[in-house]
Amino acid sequence: MTDSTESPDLQRRSGLTRLKEGTYGGFFAACAAITLLTTVAIIATLLSDAVMFFAEVPIREFLFSTSWSPNPRGGGQTFGIVALVIGTLTVTITAAFVALPVGTLTAIYLSEYATSNARSILKPLLEILAGIPTVVYGYFALVYVTPALKATLFPEMSTFNALSASLMVGIMTIPMVSSISEDAMSAVPDDLRQAGYGLGATKFEVSTGIVVPASISGIASSYILAVSRAIGETMIVVVAMGAQARMPTVGETVLGIPYINPADVLLESGMTITVAMVQIAGGDLTGGTIPYDAMFALGLTLFVVTFVMNVLSDIIAERYREEY
Amino acid sequence: MATDTDTGRVEGFGEVSRVRGIAFEYLSLGASVFGIFALAVLLVYVTIDAFDLANASPEWLLTYFLTLVVPFLGFCLYSARDRALTRRAVTVAGGGLVAVAVVFTLVETFVGQIPRLNWQLAYLFAVGIPLTGYLTYMGARGQPGSVGFGLVGRLIGGTAVGLALTVLFLVFDPRLWFLAYTLGVVPATLAYGYGYVREVPTAMTAVIPIGIVGTLGAVLLRPIVDTYPTTVFVYLWTLAIPVAVAGALVVAARGGRTTALAAGGVPLAVATAVGLGGQLAGLAVGGPNALVVLAVAGVPTAVYLHRVFDVGEGVIGLGLPVLLAVGALAGALVVETFGIPAPNPWVSETFLTEAPSRTASEAGLYPAIVGSVIIIAMVAVLSFVLGVATSVFLEEYTADSGVVGALTRLLQINIANLAAIPSVVYGLLGLGLFANLLGFGFGTAVTVSLTLSLLILPITIISAQEAIRSVPDDLRRGSDAMGATRWQTTKNIVLPEAFPGILTGTILALGRAIGETAPLIMVGAATTVFSPPSSLFSKFSAMPMQIYAWANFPQAEFRYGVVAAGVITLLVILIGMNGTAILLRNRAERGS
Amino acid sequence: MSNTPSSDTRSSESLITTDVETGSNDRITPSDRTAVAARDLNVYYGDEQAIDDVSIEIPEKRVTALIGPSGCGKSTFLRCINRMNDMIDVCRVDGDVEFGGKNVYDDDVDPVALRRKIGMVFQKPNPFPKSIRDNVAYGLKIQGFDGDVDARVEESLKSAALWDEVKDQLDSSGLDLSGGQQQRLCIARAIAADPEVVLMDEPTSALDPVAASKIEDLIDDLAEEYTVIIVTHNMQQAARISDRTAVFLTGGRLVEYDDTAKIFEDPEEQRVEDYITGKFG
Repeated sequence: MTDSTESPDLQRRSGLTRLKEGTYGGFFAACAAITLLTTVAIIATLLSDAVMFFAEVPIREFLFSTSWSPNPRGGGQTFGIVALVIGTLTVTITAAFVALPVGTLTAIYLSEYATSNARSILKPLLEILAGIPTVVYGYFALVYVTPALKATLFPEMSTFNALSASLMVGIMTIPMVSSISEDAMSAVPDDLRQAGYGLGATKFEVSTGIVVPASISGIASSYILAVSRAIGETMIVVVAMGAQARMPTVGETVLGIPYINPADVLLESGMTITVAMVQIAGGDLTGGTIPYDAMFALGLTLFVVTFVMNVLSDIIAERYREEY
Repeated sequence: MATDTDTGRVEGFGEVSRVRGIAFEYLSLGASVFGIFALAVLLVYVTIDAFDLANASPEWLLTYFLTLVVPFLGFCLYSARDRALTRRAVTVAGGGLVAVAVVFTLVETFVGQIPRLNWQLAYLFAVGIPLTGYLTYMGARGQPGSVGFGLVGRLIGGTAVGLALTVLFLVFDPRLWFLAYTLGVVPATLAYGYGYVREVPTAMTAVIPIGIVGTLGAVLLRPIVDTYPTTVFVYLWTLAIPVAVAGALVVAARGGRTTALAAGGVPLAVATAVGLGGQLAGLAVGGPNALVVLAVAGVPTAVYLHRVFDVGEGVIGLGLPVLLAVGALAGALVVETFGIPAPNPWVSETFLTEAPSRTASEAGLYPAIVGSVIIIAMVAVLSFVLGVATSVFLEEYTADSGVVGALTRLLQINIANLAAIPSVVYGLLGLGLFANLLGFGFGTAVTVSLTLSLLILPITIISAQEAIRSVPDDLRRGSDAMGATRWQTTKNIVLPEAFPGILTGTILALGRAIGETAPLIMVGAATTVFSPPSSLFSKFSAMPMQIYAWANFPQAEFRYGVVAAGVITLLVILIGMNGTAILLRNRAERGS
Repeated sequence: MSNTPSSDTRSSESLITTDVETGSNDRITPSDRTAVAARDLNVYYGDEQAIDDVSIEIPEKRVTALIGPSGCGKSTFLRCINRMNDMIDVCRVDGDVEFGGKNVYDDDVDPVALRRKIGMVFQKPNPFPKSIRDNVAYGLKIQGFDGDVDARVEESLKSAALWDEVKDQLDSSGLDLSGGQQQRLCIARAIAADPEVVLMDEPTSALDPVAASKIEDLIDDLAEEYTVIIVTHNMQQAARISDRTAVFLTGGRLVEYDDTAKIFEDPEEQRVEDYITGKFG
């Protein structure tokens, strides 16, 4: 102990120590800033080339023209996104038919029925589904799923088709739905379940009548994220769906209402927004051409759509977090 | 009330129908395993194709089952020391055989032929592999089992790391590394050691400046100096010796000086002898690469052996590698002697060491594997540094309110959004920014690594944040109250505690990077290259790119053979990485 | 000046029904120097006032107890002394806290430098997940101490009455110790850096009675060298170990501050008497 009568030295410390502290703090802050810069760079990169694209191709044509042919042999490029949107929607909707019900049921099983032992085995196994490289899924779809479907259910299926690709996208997105939905279901307070049992409800009635409605915003948010993931999925569709931008034939038979025969889009090849981007990238990367810029216009479209969906999902998820 | 009359008595409560509930429970259980089951079936088929198991004769399968699998299962059961388990295992193996045979015959009779599957293979995949997996798990819980698997793991892991190191020197200049190591790493390590032993804080502070100055000096000297030792000596001096010294130090912390010298020295001597001797004698084995592999695999193995003998439990487990090697050799011998028809697997030595080819039987994945290893190494360094620094900033250096708080929330939301941006858009970022604007070139290692680092950065950050958040606040406050600065608390308390979690998260994120294909296509990575890259700016391919290229080949040999082999190689590397990550996590959880 | 063991001054007129020994208040002399002083201190958490206009002078090398019902601001006051409240974003401090005559809230004061002169022991033992040696040497390490670390570790462990129990296992983890040992390790850690003041925030509340009594004995010894300021909810404990006692009541007001014997035998304020005799709080 000091016996000196002077007041203790509490001054800010020497330059070197402060410099050291400042250097580390500054370094960490700079690294954190890189994440912000990444977003800025993505937007800037996409916008700068997309603007050049829209200088050449009017936005109207891009949004409403039904023909996509960026590199035709005989000339006469057309850049209409409609056919690509139809391809993307086909994949997304079909995948959603697989992932959403399966994912939701999985979440209910994990949160309400599974023993902790079963959960500790099932959850990592489900995570594997999301960890398999997508190019491998694409290969599976092309080489195993399509021939299997062709041999059994759909003999008229073409080698590259939307259905097998969509099934694989669906399987890949199951864990997204199940894990986020399960979190939401586990967050439902046990009081609510007890109240249900107290009224003589069965486990089934409690699960479907109380837990699911109570966690509905979490489930919805997981759906949006899964769909957003399916929209941006690239390699599965590139490998298994082919690269033909097709407009399906619209029939007008049912009471004069236009409709599209699902087999017409599902069993045939098609092209999604992501496939179109990959296709251009396979040919021309040096920049300055319209197809090159078109790639960024497509990227911008994809970015905006997925960004909006993520924000939406955030807002919805925020609501369920506030409820409990 | 009228309790004395019969009408008031409750005869029963009736029953509420549970049929719907039970049906629903099984439906949801079915949904839970649906995706897993579908993937399992696909993996079975790709395995059959990659190893040409459809052409494996029953005798071949039986031979290896008897020489390799049965001894291994016996080892596991011995290690588990559980009679009930042994009984169960035998029942499952025997009963499974009958069940699979019956079900399979019924299906083939009434439903139809299942392509490329016979009952032996069905038994292998439905009973054999799950049983082996389960028994491995149970065996690993016993002392001999954990020792045996620990040893096998170190041998395989060490070899893999050693090979990866030699691959890195295909693009990184060994001579520059030699200079940087001699001028930067060695003096910095010495300074650290001096500061640590003599407790001189200034020496420790000087470590980073010394390292930087030394490395810069190396870069300046590289064009001037033109005499260098041969590669073997460079590897010996810069890789084998430091690994051996580190191993010896680990042993020295536990045991005596002699054992420490032996643990470091013996593998070093063997590696040097093989490395130098092989080169001098002009043998195929040996040379600089053998030196690195032997040193990197040998030293940890020696350290592990020392520990096992030191503890003295389950020493018999050390026989596991011998058991496996003898089993494999015996199997090969039997197959050879009796002329048993063997399958011709696509995953073979040629496949792993040759360049791609238009002929399926000659096609190889080597340049793509090299490309993937180099990219992963660079992505690992970049995303680890950026990820840890960012998560430390977000968790330790920010406030919850005020301007800083708002900025933090913005960063956090931004990171969540980055994680959800499609990978193909990251590819456009790489193309526009790194390849075109900054001129790093199309599909070069630099462009690809930077793009993939940014792609997995949000995942790395989020998992690192979780790891840092799980460090109890008590410890931080304790350190703060001691008068530690923020950096001191972070360095001494938070990071050591969070490190296993951060490492696990980073490896899992790297697993994502190793399989990414779309961004590589967008930045112009080559689908096929015929020789491994020679510099960071030469044309690159990676395993998923090569798989993508091959999947487009129309020939069945490619579709069902070569690509399957590529997929299996990619998945094995992926499983190896993720398995390591999970082991690390479990170990850290058990430790704390 | 003598450091008589507390058992020498036994109070017969304690207001507390149990047989309680009050602190050795004979150590208080007018010539005592002030170690820590607060002047017109107000602390707010957002809109809520946690400390209401507190002024107090805490003597050097004495044990001063801060007592009061939970939520009365005694812990907040303790954390103002080494500026641990700085870590809480919404916390705002008005007024002065003087340490050795210097206001610690002055602009030129570095809270980190301040904390190196003031040790702190927490309610729940929080040894670092390091070896016992590294735990005790932690403060020395971060301050770049270049003397004999091992001697300092031994000395501190001896002062914390832990040396005999752990001298053969200095390299094993601090987490392997029992709760009471862990708390004494935390005390050793706090005093190894040679602080002038040791702050203790309910250091025995997470411990069993036997471990707690060892800590109490230790605190008594510590006062020979250090100024000890201890927050406790246990009035018997305050009476046993402290020389001075400050009573905080709801709203963060310091109601009475005096020699411990005086507070427990004949408090000025009726409210304090009510609190001490258990009529409220």
